[in-house]
Amino acid sequence: MVEAAGLMKGPHRIFPLLFRISADAMRSRFDQRTLYSYTSTIRPTEEALGLVIDWILRAQQPDGGVPAYYSLMRGYSESYPEVTGYIVPTLYDFAHATSDSDAAHAAERATNWLLSLRMSSGAFPAGLHTGEEQPSVFNTGQILQGLVRGYMETHRAEILEAADAAGDWLASAQSPDGSWSGLGAYQGAAHTYYSMVAWSLALLASETKATRHRSTAERNLDWVLKQIEPSGWTGGINLKGYPTFLHFIAYVIQGVLECGIALHREDAIVAASRSAWVLLRKFEVHKALLGTYEAEFKRGMSFVCLTGNAQMSCVWLRLYEATGELRYLNGALKMNELLKQSLRTRGNRGALGGVAGSYPIWGAYQPLRYISWGCKFLADALMLELRLKRAFEARACAS
Amino acid sequence: MRVVVLCSSPYSETGCAMAARLAQTGRVPVGAISLPAFDRTTLLRKFAQWGGRDSARFAWSKLAPRRNKTTGVRNPYLGDALQHSGKTLRSLQEIGRTYGVPIMISANQNSSLAIERLRQWSPDVVVFTGGNILRKPLLAVPRFGVINSHLGLLPEIRGMSSPEWSLLEGVPLGVTIHLMDAGIDTGGTLLKREFRELDGCDSFIDLRNRMIAFGMEMVLETVAGLEAGTIAPHPQADQEKDHQFFVMHDWLKSQAAVRLGVRPVLSVGEASE
Repeated sequence: MVEAAGLMKGPHRIFPLLFRISADAMRSRFDQRTLYSYTSTIRPTEEALGLVIDWILRAQQPDGGVPAYYSLMRGYSESYPEVTGYIVPTLYDFAHATSDSDAAHAAERATNWLLSLRMSSGAFPAGLHTGEEQPSVFNTGQILQGLVRGYMETHRAEILEAADAAGDWLASAQSPDGSWSGLGAYQGAAHTYYSMVAWSLALLASETKATRHRSTAERNLDWVLKQIEPSGWTGGINLKGYPTFLHFIAYVIQGVLECGIALHREDAIVAASRSAWVLLRKFEVHKALLGTYEAEFKRGMSFVCLTGNAQMSCVWLRLYEATGELRYLNGALKMNELLKQSLRTRGNRGALGGVAGSYPIWGAYQPLRYISWGCKFLADALMLELRLKRAFEARACAS
Repeated sequence: MRVVVLCSSPYSETGCAMAARLAQTGRVPVGAISLPAFDRTTLLRKFAQWGGRDSARFAWSKLAPRRNKTTGVRNPYLGDALQHSGKTLRSLQEIGRTYGVPIMISANQNSSLAIERLRQWSPDVVVFTGGNILRKPLLAVPRFGVINSHLGLLPEIRGMSSPEWSLLEGVPLGVTIHLMDAGIDTGGTLLKREFRELDGCDSFIDLRNRMIAFGMEMVLETVAGLEAGTIAPHPQADQEKDHQFFVMHDWLKSQAAVRLGVRPVLSVGEASE
């Protein structure tokens, strides 16, 4: 209702909204139901990367915060501390890859905004930036990723101090079994996708060499690994009232994988690869991943969760890097083709180059929105693709 | 030896050449079952997977195939097999009239009608050159089973884009004649041979064409070996490991082409046989 009320305030949005819905209706019915096409590259990866990074840079607010989404009904949302945090490494990666000083500057502004949100406990607040002061484990973890990278790039003492305090708060909030539940956890429950928090702590520990942060990460990783079924199914996502979106499944896998790589934990890499392989096979056989899955990867809703797809592309590319298994690279390259085709090259500033929550746009995940974390994960996937292709070609030349 | 040939289309050069080669070597097929030239089910499946534009390109590549200017066929290495009395046989119907092979056109090779016809022909062996994914009732009809020529060495390289995957995985190029079962390229192997005839090979299409012709001669050898009792199936080792590969992305194909030293990319439809 709040979204729909946005149309009352901005009636000029009605025509772009109707156009988007009818365009997706036509496309999903008559052409590329899943956006899959392995035939040829329609859009160069560099061009697609530029489009999504431009979306992020355009969306960034003057204070440095990045909105969660651009809604076709109400425009940009308030800034989102969580995403602003983990977009920082993406912006720095892009700045290094392309010598783009605008991206580096945007990352610094984002970091400064995050520093202004620090709570006295060291935690960071939940949800959109609306002035409420509820500490959040997940947001703190995701922001920590940005702080660690911000410190690595600038060596500013206040960033390290904030990261350290955030790490200490996460350690203090952790349950004895290694999960996070109760105050600070979403719906008060433990979630396996908080493996992303463990990854951030592992990154912090790598930078500071602090054993307390490393052991907090290890404890959570151990707990998450116990929830992953032998079939690869990522149990324990535990979001009441929501279907199990691919986005959350991919979070679990990505967190476990990256944490495993950072902590040199082979068991975690093996567990992540087991889950990732199931989804890779599904993608190769069915030419698409579903937007949601039931337990044991049983069939869920059949829209495309573009963000989850981009995350899985990142996971497959990192697994290719870690294991040398070319089928991961092949799946990721095809997935990136699918995602690049979803980008719009015309339209208003909130839609141009944006990654929609779902395809078709009215799908169940973030309907009628272009979401900033979708852009972040797609940019990561495209940068990984470019880097790994260069390495592949260099190896071929050398041999 | 009673042999039946399964084809993906009455105009499939591979299917036609296979039937012709069998006839030319004294084993005239007792029948052939082909999907129709314009198969609605296949086109709808392609449409669902690829969408309008790509399935239109696929249909066009089937309806207006690019033929070699010198030989008049798409796969020049099958040219000799398709020649008869100075003319090129272009369809299964022409093969049937020339060599006396009964032809059945069926939109589903697993249909009860197709299986009933197959039973009437009581084949010792069925040679698969293309068509549907075969189900157990059909697989159970021939005495020796259904055999397939796979353009990769089994069990290392199963599935799609086999020559390209072989190059990237460091597995020698090769062809395996194997029995078909419910899995993808998991049936017992009958004959396995490395492929080294690469002189002058200038593209993956050329490589694939050469391997198809090479595999066809291996099929003839296998059929003779089965009849003589000199060839028997060997179960594939390493069954628990996942060796199945899928269609290769164009960029990886270009890298495989670098290793082969040829022109890189196939377009839609060209890799389908």
